[in-house]
Amino acid sequence: MFSGKPARHRHTLSEQRFALGLAIPSLLVLAVTTTLPLCYLVWSSLQRINLGMSFMDGFVGAANYVNMTEDSRFWNSLVLTVEYTSATVALQIVIGLTLAVAISELRHGQWLARMVAILPIVLAPVVVGLFFRSLMLTPTFGIVDFLAISLGLGSHNWLGDPQLALMSVIAIHTWQWTPFSFLVLLAAMAALPADIYEAARLDRANAWMRFWHITLPMLRPAIMILVILRMTVALSAFAAIFAATGGGPGSATEILNLYAYRTSFNELNIGYGSALAVTLMAITLVISAAMFRLRSRR
Amino acid sequence: MMPRRGRQFVLSIVLFAVLTVWSFPVFWGLVTSLKTDRDVLAYPPIGPFHPILSNYGEVLVGRASIVPNLTSSLIVSVVTTAITIVLAVPAAYALARLRLRGRAPIGFYILATQMLPPIGLVIPYFMIFSRVGLLNTYHGLILIDLTLSLPFAIWLLVSYFEDIPREMEEAALIDRAGRFRALWYVILPQVRGGIAVTVVFVFLNVWNEFLFAVVLGGRVVRPVTVAMFNFISLEQTQWGRVSAAAMIAMAPVLLLGLAAQKHIVKGLTLGAVKGVSRR
Repeated sequence: MFSGKPARHRHTLSEQRFALGLAIPSLLVLAVTTTLPLCYLVWSSLQRINLGMSFMDGFVGAANYVNMTEDSRFWNSLVLTVEYTSATVALQIVIGLTLAVAISELRHGQWLARMVAILPIVLAPVVVGLFFRSLMLTPTFGIVDFLAISLGLGSHNWLGDPQLALMSVIAIHTWQWTPFSFLVLLAAMAALPADIYEAARLDRANAWMRFWHITLPMLRPAIMILVILRMTVALSAFAAIFAATGGGPGSATEILNLYAYRTSFNELNIGYGSALAVTLMAITLVISAAMFRLRSRR
Repeated sequence: MMPRRGRQFVLSIVLFAVLTVWSFPVFWGLVTSLKTDRDVLAYPPIGPFHPILSNYGEVLVGRASIVPNLTSSLIVSVVTTAITIVLAVPAAYALARLRLRGRAPIGFYILATQMLPPIGLVIPYFMIFSRVGLLNTYHGLILIDLTLSLPFAIWLLVSYFEDIPREMEEAALIDRAGRFRALWYVILPQVRGGIAVTVVFVFLNVWNEFLFAVVLGGRVVRPVTVAMFNFISLEQTQWGRVSAAAMIAMAPVLLLGLAAQKHIVKGLTLGAVKGVSRR
């Protein structure tokens, strides 16, 4: 081109302006629809706002947060959140990885697994929750309970028994989202270079060694991103639990997200609900930021 | 080591188990939607029954018809998807391909908005909307659904823009085509597939959305995910009708998902996995 520095400089400048012009509408919309409401959320978490008793509303400073530290229901929801998130993410990755490794060795019918994996992913979580609550897990008439009876395990109140309810909602989440991990890992495995395996075969590495020393390390980036994505989704899981148990029985499946919802919209205590939501948000952002850092270091 | 044939046989059993477990609830929903209330509560639940279609008639034209709800869902999903694409495509192009000052913080900001727990948004939206009269309106629900779809669409589209060979746009620019013309005539045709995949994903997410709809919707704007509860009361759950309603409500997303199967897998992986290996 008819180069020379000034021209190049002008070129870059106009590109900058063009790029900014393209990005700004989205950034503006995101600022208005997410950042602004979040500021409002933080503000309202410093207020007493109770739609049932609005005459007492007003600024209370950190009182909502202080109350939280003495609220056993909050601590219970925090423990449930940790259990729910770690269990569902671990199960999704382990089962998804196992299935991906197994199915990838299959010479015929892989497409069937890929196709059927789409089903749970595209279903609305609220429909999944309702299906499991009625058709699958209802005592006696639900098919899972029928199976349990037939296998001699006896009938159980899968969603009504506080001991079982948490396990049941974890199982529901795992059922719905393991296909996601499965599909991602299956595709990631298909993209691995074949010659490494050939070399390993020549070195007489057995299947287990090949998996442990080649496949797993090479899948690490994919697994990392899956952990990030699935954690944020599990932390804000709502519809399936809402439909299956509503957070109950009592507060047996009331993860922090459900607690914030119930406080805000059932008990109409919006100020305290906001503080709970801010806490959940802080947890999510800290985890995502840590993961994002890990991710970009690679 | 196991002989080849035996190994493949074991793997086929794994495959069969996977197929059964993942498709069964959908299949069972279909079966239940064809049962009368009496057959639903027959024991054992897997016995033979006489299939009927009246549940579908009831949820389509009966007293608690879900047709208005399907309309609500369609309006919200289509409009949200359209706005999302119009906003996200240029932004993704700028992030993926152009010299943009502050690209890293901008990218992180968009990612952060995608990871926000929706409950943190729905509470302030509820308060603001109740003050300005946007509860139970399409404008309101579409506005908040954008928070769900826009960051996601931008990130997914970035991965498609990054795949275009750079020479193409350089050639267009050397020809002194304006930047905008280059984007419109040279770049966009290259990412048509990516845009289609993004449309499918965004539509799916908005169609299936529940929390925003249940809090900010109402009698007028009542998407079908909320309407599922029409057939559930404290006294009894009308399983046959819930199942029929679910089958109808989920038909569009199931069909979209299956029809775009290859691209969906690609979209899922490109958006999620490729971003890592690139860095």
